Amino acid sequence: MDIARSQLSMSRVVDAPRELVYRAFTDPAQFAAWWGPIGNSVLRDETDFDIRPGGHQRWTEVRDADPDFRVYIRIELTDVADGRLLEGVLHARGDFPDDIEPFNSALRIEFHDEPGRRTRLEIRQSLPEQACGPSEQGWREVFTKLDAALTSNAADQRDSQT
Amino acid sequence: MPATAADQLSTVFSALADPTRRAILAELADHNATVSDLTATFPISMPAVSRHLKVLEHASLISRSQQGRWRTSQLEAAPLRDAAAWIERYRRYWDASLDRLDAHLAAIQAADRR
Repeated sequence: MDIARSQLSMSRVVDAPRELVYRAFTDPAQFAAWWGPIGNSVLRDETDFDIRPGGHQRWTEVRDADPDFRVYIRIELTDVADGRLLEGVLHARGDFPDDIEPFNSALRIEFHDEPGRRTRLEIRQSLPEQACGPSEQGWREVFTKLDAALTSNAADQRDSQT
Repeated sequence: MPATAADQLSTVFSALADPTRRAILAELADHNATVSDLTATFPISMPAVSRHLKVLEHASLISRSQQGRWRTSQLEAAPLRDAAAWIERYRRYWDASLDRLDAHLAAIQAADRR
């Protein structure tokens, strides 16, 4: 369950070979061409990628209807496997609308081969602290314990199946 | 309502420790539901669903309200609701981006073939 695990998890198959999909995420010009919902743009000049463990991906998003609205994203990459994995901590800062605060969030993107020269993306993004409420320390504790319980449950189930 | 924050946390944690109750909460994060909605979704009896809902209600994770003939359950706890809202917001963001990724990949592959 996404909420109890306090993360967003998504799986999506795209109709292109894995290397090509990985390049769309790691080539600054390509990334700037597609990232963000329609109505948001990535500024090509402010897109700076250094793809390696310890490297980063940095970019600036603007809202087309309101060019003063800017969001600065920085991912500090902790783990990179060429063509297969991007993992890091995403920091978002900027001129958010009132209801969004700056946040930090762990992000993991896996690239898997699918039949027919397609690629399955597995995306995990952790909830930032704020989304659980700044005064709700205790809830963090619940989520953390629950994560541990779910993980050991899953391990037990795997063990009992083998 | 449990007396102290620590009591509330342990009530919440034991309510969340059951996989069916977590699945019910996940369902309620998407939409409010009646006992019969939930009975149709999960392979358990109506009284079993009712018992789970009672535990979740006691932990203040859901509330129930009468709508016509039916009582509907809704996700209540503010932190869970906030978490669900955050997840939903970014799921939409990713979905919209990945739609554009699909179009981008189709365009560059078409260009390569030419």
